Amino acid sequence: MSAAESATAIQRNQVDLLDFIDWSGVECLNQSSSHSLSNALKQGYREDEGLNLESDADEQLLIYIPFTQVIKLHSIAVMGSEEDGPKTVKLFANREHMGFSNVSDFPPSDTAVLSPDNLKGKPVVLKYVKFQNVRSLTIFIEDNQSGSEITKVQKIALYGSTVETTDMKGLKKIEDH
Amino acid sequence: MVLEATMICIDNSEWMRNGDYAPSRFQAQADAVNLICGAKTQSNPENTVGVLTMAGKGVRVLVTPTSDLGKILACMHGLEIGGEMNLAAGIQVAQLALKHRQNKKQQQRIIVFAGSPVMHDKKALEMIGKKLKKNSVALDIVNFGEDDEGKTEKLEALLAAVNNNDTSHIVHVPAGPTALSDVLISTPIFTGDGEGGSGFAASAAAAAAGGVSGFEFGVDPNLDPELALALRVSMEEERARQEAAAKQAAEEASKEEKGGEEQDATMTERASEGASEADNKKIEIADDDDTSLQQALAMSMDEPTSSQGLQDTEMSDAAAEDPELALALQLSVQDSTKDSSSQADVSKLLADQSFVSSILASLPGVDPNDPSVKEVLASMQNQSEPQQKQDEDKAPKKEEEK
Repeated sequence: MSAAESATAIQRNQVDLLDFIDWSGVECLNQSSSHSLSNALKQGYREDEGLNLESDADEQLLIYIPFTQVIKLHSIAVMGSEEDGPKTVKLFANREHMGFSNVSDFPPSDTAVLSPDNLKGKPVVLKYVKFQNVRSLTIFIEDNQSGSEITKVQKIALYGSTVETTDMKGLKKIEDH
Repeated sequence: MVLEATMICIDNSEWMRNGDYAPSRFQAQADAVNLICGAKTQSNPENTVGVLTMAGKGVRVLVTPTSDLGKILACMHGLEIGGEMNLAAGIQVAQLALKHRQNKKQQQRIIVFAGSPVMHDKKALEMIGKKLKKNSVALDIVNFGEDDEGKTEKLEALLAAVNNNDTSHIVHVPAGPTALSDVLISTPIFTGDGEGGSGFAASAAAAAAGGVSGFEFGVDPNLDPELALALRVSMEEERARQEAAAKQAAEEASKEEKGGEEQDATMTERASEGASEADNKKIEIADDDDTSLQQALAMSMDEPTSSQGLQDTEMSDAAAEDPELALALQLSVQDSTKDSSSQADVSKLLADQSFVSSILASLPGVDPNDPSVKEVLASMQNQSEPQQKQDEDKAPKKEEEK
């Protein structure tokens, strides 16, 4: 029941926030040039299992995603392989231009340790109260499952709702229930 | 036109005293830094450049990334040589300085001048390189000066660790006749990652090439044909003028005899010296005329009671020869009674071009058609046109007073 409840909860609140990402400001530190962030974020690319976001110099990744409007973030889905997929993921809301040197300077808004289930596609529900007024999101992937040199991420999906506008798709979903 | 923030790391260690790069390694480095700063700020006005020194007492940031070229050039003055270069610390401080740049949209770049031996081991350098790559900082290395065992290898390893898509480069500059800056101009460090060269780099290259290949007048005719043509024409004119004046002097030297015509001699000498002495001529003419005028003044001053009559007779004598001369003398006498500076009067007289030309015509041995003399007149006329108007105003007044 709780699983079903959480599933419906997800369905009710969320919209895939892909449409609200401000692509001009999206940045990713330590990504490999041939395997870039778009492979994990963009529609179509992220569904393709062959296209991954890969880290370069070491296993950490720092992803900065600004949004076109203020959103509430409900959950996040990170997909990857069992060995090279990310393990510890720290999320920072509304922190601009972070670098690897100051990720430990302040506590993350939330931390997620991904299980193999998550890596298969199950979203991680976040502390919703911490993500009520999100202008930008910084995702810090600290390590991967097996501790290898390269972290590979197949897909990153963000689920939530907007603050200002009511999303008609969201409303329809509620009505369906 | 990449928007970039650059930190330049200068090596000011003891090894920079060496003179194998003209004039000294340090000076060659400073010139290169100046050129790079100029190129960066020109290619994109929003680019910022900062400078730090790696040796001396320790790594010291001289100026944080700024787009103010003057500030950067100013801080290059008074740099002292000493100590040993600390490459690792220098790069890390540079990275920190870039992290705190004001415009976060700028790409980060570090340019290192590695002139002295590298103390750190390859591993440490590779770690630093990886850290730079992780933070998407590009690195350009200028390897010059000392070439001890392993230095090149270490720097290449550092570059390999940093390099991401060919944004980082290394340049090896051997000691030799070509200046450090000239060698750098043709490298990607200057031209900016294969953009094809900014205008600054291109013109600097052309200037350098012009200097090296020995273009006439130091200007490349291909680059600036009008300037080259103008320079050539003026050189030829000057040469022709000097030849004509020299010929004149030779002719006149044979003609003149009188010792009293010291004026003529000096005049012809001046004429042969050429147009560049126009100002000197003017002053000399003034002095010579002044002596004769002062004699006239002295005579008139000595006999104030009968001054009028005397002046008139003297004037009439002079007037018989040259009415304009008489007028001028009268003007000068009247003016000098009011204000003490006769020199000013003389210059005013000289400003009257017609007066001057008539004087010159009356002097034997001077040909007013001589081009050098013409030029003197022209220059004087240009300088004294406002004065001439004043004289013209005064002259009719004086006429009425008479």
